Amino acid sequence: MLVAAPESRAGVPTDHLKGAIDRVVRTLEDPALKGADKATERRRAVRKVANDVFDFGEIARRSLARHWQPLTEQQRAEFVMLFADLLERSYISKIELYGGEKILYTGERTDGDLATVSTKIITRNGTEVPIDYRLLKRGDRWLVYDVNIEGVSLVSNYRTQFNKIIQTASYADLVQKMRTKQDDLVSQDQGRTTKTTPTKK
Amino acid sequence: MRHSALDLSVGLFLLIGIVALSWMSIKLGRVEWLGGGGYAVTADFPSVGGLKAGSAVEIAGVEIGRVDSITLGKDYQAQVRMTIRPKVTLQDDSIASIKTKGLIGERYIRISPGGSEKIIPPNGRIKEVEAPVDFEELLSKYVFGKV
Repeated sequence: MLVAAPESRAGVPTDHLKGAIDRVVRTLEDPALKGADKATERRRAVRKVANDVFDFGEIARRSLARHWQPLTEQQRAEFVMLFADLLERSYISKIELYGGEKILYTGERTDGDLATVSTKIITRNGTEVPIDYRLLKRGDRWLVYDVNIEGVSLVSNYRTQFNKIIQTASYADLVQKMRTKQDDLVSQDQGRTTKTTPTKK
Repeated sequence: MRHSALDLSVGLFLLIGIVALSWMSIKLGRVEWLGGGGYAVTADFPSVGGLKAGSAVEIAGVEIGRVDSITLGKDYQAQVRMTIRPKVTLQDDSIASIKTKGLIGERYIRISPGGSEKIIPPNGRIKEVEAPVDFEELLSKYVFGKV
């Protein structure tokens, strides 16, 4: 049974999500973690929060959809790891661009063990970007299993791509592709961190 | 004699015309001949854009059902009721997205099948949805937004 704290009308899923987002914002604004030379530490801190609030296993399972069933436990574990790395690499670089944008929590809908938390990011030039998080209840925690930006679902996007690759090539091909992408992003990151001068205050 | 032959041809022409017209209205009106078997599922969308009753429901571009009705549900969401062909099973984690055919074509529902072992029962609900992307809104947001 859910008992919402009296002062929070928003409900438990929003509280969980807001707590995690606040922690990420604090990490990014932490003066001890600013600057290009602190990139690895900062990333590690953000990853830690991400691992707490995202259910990467569920995201991977839903994204692979019916191609998940025939995989062995070992393959599944490997895929979840690769996918989590890919997501973290492609999104953390964007999260790091955060510069004090306002985040509004505009609504919450719960439906049994599932919940949607609607948020809005207001950029400095006033553009509103709606981001909806889909959460599911695991024990007493709410974990994110899908993110909907401007109505486009992350799981749906990857499901379509994975399905296309597996059907035109094979699962092994997909894993291979993800590995090379991961390596590319790693080398790109290294290139960027050596190139950029710490101009940010 | 000649007179009745003319009558006959006019009559025949009219008959052909009527048949052609009714065939066209059945085709265009998408009337189901046999009441259409299948089972109903619903999905709640934040907005349906230009989706209408009679719009197609597709998987991989293949039509697997049609939209029956669109009503305003709870929380001002659009509740879409559709009929799915009996042989098609939809997993619990299937995603229903409202898509546009081409850039400005008609709207339809695309379902991307999930991998869950749970199957949506008749009169069940597709929980994962994607609202249509409003290109005009997006354009005005990101092109003209910078004031």
